[in-house]
Amino acid sequence: MTATAASPWLCVRHLAKRHGATAVFSALNLELNAGETLAVIGASGCGKTTLLRILAGLDYADAGSITINGRDSGRDTPHARGAVYLYQEPLLFPHLDVYENIAFGLRLRNMADDALRGEVHGMLDALALRALAHRDPASLSGGQRQRVAFGRALMVKPALLLLDEPFSNLDPQARADMQTLCKTMTRHHGCTVVFVTHDVKEALIMGDRHGRLADGHYLAYADRAAFCADPASGVQAERAFWRDALP
Amino acid sequence: MGERLRAILGHGLGLLVMLPFAALLVLSLARSWPYPQLWPAVWQFDQWLLFGAQWSTLAPAALRSLSLALLVGLLATGAGFLTSRVLARRSRGWLTLALLPFAVPPVVYAVSLGQAYAALGLNGHYGGVLLAQLPFAYAYAVLLCRGYWTRTRLELGELALSLGARPAQLWWRVHGPLARGLLGVCLFQTALMSWFDFALVRFIGAGHVETLSLRVFDTLNAGDLRQAAAAALIMLAPPCLALLINPRLLWPALTRAVAP
Repeated sequence: MTATAASPWLCVRHLAKRHGATAVFSALNLELNAGETLAVIGASGCGKTTLLRILAGLDYADAGSITINGRDSGRDTPHARGAVYLYQEPLLFPHLDVYENIAFGLRLRNMADDALRGEVHGMLDALALRALAHRDPASLSGGQRQRVAFGRALMVKPALLLLDEPFSNLDPQARADMQTLCKTMTRHHGCTVVFVTHDVKEALIMGDRHGRLADGHYLAYADRAAFCADPASGVQAERAFWRDALP
Repeated sequence: MGERLRAILGHGLGLLVMLPFAALLVLSLARSWPYPQLWPAVWQFDQWLLFGAQWSTLAPAALRSLSLALLVGLLATGAGFLTSRVLARRSRGWLTLALLPFAVPPVVYAVSLGQAYAALGLNGHYGGVLLAQLPFAYAYAVLLCRGYWTRTRLELGELALSLGARPAQLWWRVHGPLARGLLGVCLFQTALMSWFDFALVRFIGAGHVETLSLRVFDTLNAGDLRQAAAAALIMLAPPCLALLINPRLLWPALTRAVAP
């Protein structure tokens, strides 16, 4: 999953998408190196989810190209892209318990039972879910459900992980725990990550690189300082709030 | 409404539904049951024994009905489920097409298609009857299965694809298990549509495809009320047996299966 120095691992060029008469975005360009996490911020309805769905191969762009690791992937299936999409709601298969949810991707690949058991137990331990292995998804808390969904995504060793505000419905503590866990585990697995959020603080915690989607246009920041310096990013407003709020 | 009252009302409603069938059973076992007697004075098994004597001709008709019902049920359920998936993200206008077969009475449909069936050589054939029954069962299956395709279920499908599922695996590992209850109900109901069908079998079968429903209606036409009651109970036997094995086929499974 490495790319040459000249070409980024993920390269999106002139991407355009319309929903009926409304242009979601036009001529969107985006680059990301292997193993990096790009945090994209934007208000609700600005097209963040549409962008992720197109990158995942769950939706198609009207124009433009997507190159993943040097391969034109614009019409590839999600599986062929090695992309896994994590929904805002922690969607678990309701007919499977926690263990089988985590094992789902490996079962699709017909992995032998012994090897599968070892892999799944390893993931359950890493996510502190071993005690819940045979629980029904409906009996889990939001944080636990999100951990299962996250573990299930990592089990298939995705080259590209697409996270659609996955922690927005969690309480502050669970959210902080998941941010740490996500950061640690995606680094450990060497995933390239695109993380969309409308929370500036989360973008700063999660992202190695940052971008902003607004009014159908995508702005890539050169570095963290540029992201923080842009008034439109919301970082300065967040900083001012805390400066005023704290005694 | 309290739990207790709800249970009483539920059981009361169930009894009301069962009452006509209980009356049929009593009628089929009565020598005579003149109004206003609440209960027959003399009982007999003659009606049932008569069916026993006719078993050699009745059994093939029953088997033909059963095979037709199973084939119609399986084909309509499979095709209906797949079609409802295709329609899930399209405008509701397409779905209204599924209502069309119910706007035309089966007799009118059978008569109007009779010429076409004759030209195709399908009149009087088992396959012709099967083809004639399918549109109704298929449309019903589409309408029944559309409730399954909630946003969450569609997203679960996408998620499975994202995790590497091939289309066959998606059906086998996700939608099949999730829709099992609904598919069972659909199969049962569409099979019943064929099992109870009379008009299409009469017109398209043209007397060459004899099913149990034809035999029962012949008995009804003969004018013996007690014999007709016994015949009607024979028609009801398979669905009653299926409901006895799995009562959820009729209602609770349906409500649970289509719940978001």
